[in-house]
Amino acid sequence: MFCFQCEQTSRDGATAGCAGAKGVCGKDEVTADLQDLLIYELKGIGQYTHRLHKLGKPDADADRFSLYALFTTLTNVNFNRARFTDMIAEAATIRDRVAKAYEVEAAAAGKIPAMLGAAAHYQPAGDLSGLLAQAPVASVRAGVEKVGEDVIGLRSLILYGLKGVAAYAHHAEVLGEEREEIYAGVAKALDFLASDSTDIEALLGEALELGKLNYTVMETLDAANTGNFGTPTPTAVRTTPVAGKCILVSGHDFGDLRAILEATKDQGINVYTHGEVLPAHAYPKLHAYPHLVGNYGGAWQNQQIEFAAFPGPIVMTSNCLIEPQPSYRNRIFTMGPVGWPGLKHLTHNDLGILVQAAKATPGFATTAPEKQILIGFARDTVLGVAGTVVEAVKSGAVKHFFLIGGCDGAAPGRNYYTDFADNAPQDTVVLTLGCGKYRFNTHDFGTIGGLPRLLDVGQCNDTYSAIQIALALANAFNCGVNELPLTLVISWFEQKAAAVLLTLLALGVRNIRLGPSLPAFLTPNLINVLVEKFGIQPVTDAKADIQAALTRAA
Amino acid sequence: MDVTIVTRDGARLGVPCAEGQNVLAAAEEAGLYLPSMCREGSCGMCAAHVTEGAYEMGACAEGALPKGEGGVLLCRCLALSDLVVEVPVRDEQIGRHRVPERRAVIAGLVPAGAGALAVTLQLEADETYGAAADFVPGQFFEMTLPGADVRRAYSLANLPNWDGRLEFIIRLVPGGRFSGWLAAEARVGQMLELRGPMGHFALDEASPRPRVLVAGGCGVAPILSLLRQMAEYGDATPVHLIYGANREAEFLPPHVLAEMKAALPQLDVTYAVWHPEAGWNGFVGTAAEALSVVLASGAAVPDIYVCGPPRMLEAVEGAALAAGVPAAQFFAERVQS
Ligand code: SF4
Ligand code: SF4
Repeated sequence: MFCFQCEQTSRDGATAGCAGAKGVCGKDEVTADLQDLLIYELKGIGQYTHRLHKLGKPDADADRFSLYALFTTLTNVNFNRARFTDMIAEAATIRDRVAKAYEVEAAAAGKIPAMLGAAAHYQPAGDLSGLLAQAPVASVRAGVEKVGEDVIGLRSLILYGLKGVAAYAHHAEVLGEEREEIYAGVAKALDFLASDSTDIEALLGEALELGKLNYTVMETLDAANTGNFGTPTPTAVRTTPVAGKCILVSGHDFGDLRAILEATKDQGINVYTHGEVLPAHAYPKLHAYPHLVGNYGGAWQNQQIEFAAFPGPIVMTSNCLIEPQPSYRNRIFTMGPVGWPGLKHLTHNDLGILVQAAKATPGFATTAPEKQILIGFARDTVLGVAGTVVEAVKSGAVKHFFLIGGCDGAAPGRNYYTDFADNAPQDTVVLTLGCGKYRFNTHDFGTIGGLPRLLDVGQCNDTYSAIQIALALANAFNCGVNELPLTLVISWFEQKAAAVLLTLLALGVRNIRLGPSLPAFLTPNLINVLVEKFGIQPVTDAKADIQAALTRAA
Repeated sequence: MDVTIVTRDGARLGVPCAEGQNVLAAAEEAGLYLPSMCREGSCGMCAAHVTEGAYEMGACAEGALPKGEGGVLLCRCLALSDLVVEVPVRDEQIGRHRVPERRAVIAGLVPAGAGALAVTLQLEADETYGAAADFVPGQFFEMTLPGADVRRAYSLANLPNWDGRLEFIIRLVPGGRFSGWLAAEARVGQMLELRGPMGHFALDEASPRPRVLVAGGCGVAPILSLLRQMAEYGDATPVHLIYGANREAEFLPPHVLAEMKAALPQLDVTYAVWHPEAGWNGFVGTAAEALSVVLASGAAVPDIYVCGPPRMLEAVEGAALAAGVPAAQFFAERVQS
């Protein structure tokens, strides 16, 4: 196995990356190798679907499968090797179908079918040991001795960005928002990866292309969320338990949450959000369910403790899953792209077992004193008070905005973001999104010019909303985003953050602080490019970085 | 050496720690499950601070090591003397196999081959544990003989379920106190006191190797549970069951394994009879002897799971070691007799 797609990757060896029997996240060698093979097949599928899109004859099922399959390979999503063996077989069937369709459609259009590279013709072995023997061809580092580390690094950046794109696009798709442009873009990126390009400029160009595509994807997801559930409004969310039977929903998928809320209606079961499902409370149509009673626990890395203590079943709808402890193994379920060997997988049509589990587990015996946090400052709310905000800046009451966004993690280095938020001067506003905020969203930040000083924009998925806020501010001040008194401080963990970063770069946003460590797949040469072209800076010390940001702005 | 774990809320938990053993593993051996993830010093999940004593920190990722004096990752921390370690969790947050005490009603008593009984219990709903039968396939419960201070442990044969159903296959030992009571006095509807689940006999699901499961007599109970688990989750790992008995009549009724085979198409079964009657045309000999034959013919070295009486376990382990199966690939559970 070799995997270096996330921030916590092992940095012990000569080449940073998880290369032992098990990754830091708990992904084992077999699963990692099968994931590589699945991606190799997806590249092969992309070679055909890209051409089918160009011929105006897309295969919707193949496109949807590609999103879903890419999503399963994100960090902390699916660890179930049986699932990957199945998907590898399914991918081969799909590939054969699109290959045939391409032949037919090319002929019908009077074209000679293109000769396609190896991935298009790959035949997966029939059993596990055969598959594992094939895995080296599909490794992210395949061919490094010929093409060099920089090329491998850029290909990885594209692949990981693409995984993030696919995850967001899948969330939108299951809520009924699909766009031809997105499917065509994903197919094109897969086809590009299949071409094994060694041209640094072309690779960089493709990475930025993907950033643009991701902007459309995030816009689509925003439309899917607001279209289905209404526009987020500031909402106080209960963070303490209520007596009674209970279910905990974690991950990111609001569609799954809605299905669970429907299945548990009038059953005397309370539903709690966990992790990145918290922003659900701000959406009017989800908030309307009386049995969506509150949020339980914090960010994903505390789940082993929190899930063990939760007296009911738990559902993981997307990342971030970590190895379930024995004490709650039987009562944690997976949905959508998520999987772990030995955990029950649910679909929207078989939620009966979840209800049964909620009734068979003890539930909370008592109601704890009420505590609340305030969430839901998405773009409409912030833009609704844009006048106040602009005034506050012009009058000097607000000196600077910090957008602290991204993921949390277990390493103590993540304290940087809490320190940053806590040390931001009183005349600055902190916008936040993603799960990094759980470390500080219970701290008291006070108010400024009639606005709370800490504005929670939502999930990591809500970067679109944050970008809209920045663009609107730039508009109001008649300047570019880079001229705004705004600093982006990004804490990346997995591949969705890679996609978001590419989007920000594609939009020309400069001077982003990135941490807690830089991606292992970026070589010193590539980091230089990022620093020179985009002014990206690694995080240092929170106080020093705040000072630097304020000095630059002044 | 002794390690004292001090929780955030001040509880002090003593844990014996062997030389060369990391503190995380030592705590687990003592039944304390602290947060952890990669177990190789990279993720930072098991961060803690040593406040007293000498220790050695193995290799770990720089960023993962907590700041401040005595910052350690427990998965990489070896005690060189007695230690006091502060962990950033509260006492109640530490996972514990504090063994639940439950009550259950006898719901079924049915013969299961010569000299054995299939016993089904229905758990009573309970404020702390709810109504579910929550266990890991391979685990056992301990039952108390009503009105006496006699306890016996029996492995579960079914899967965890939300209905609170526990299924056992129990050998009727001539003169045995508990099984004697089961055979003569136990009735459907009677209440039993239980403790459980307990035990660490469980599938290594992450292993890529094929599996050989060896069952001796009523040792088939947890083996069935493991097979059912594989079937339930569509686990396609090659698996061979060696099912040994003294006499053919002791085997479970044939439909049990026929159903198993239908649910788990890759399952191979070898029946081994030690003292066959005329007409037996299967393998003649002990389960251990059958295992030697299977190991000699197979290509990959499998993981071996065995459950049976102590003497049988010894013989099977001997056969496995002789065939070059590493000890780490050998999982055993003993049947009480
Ligand atoms: S996802 Fe991250 S932790 Fe897991 S194997 Fe890959 S790089 Fe390692
Ligand atoms: S923000 Fe990132 S790390 Fe956090 S829950 Fe979402 S995907 Fe996981």
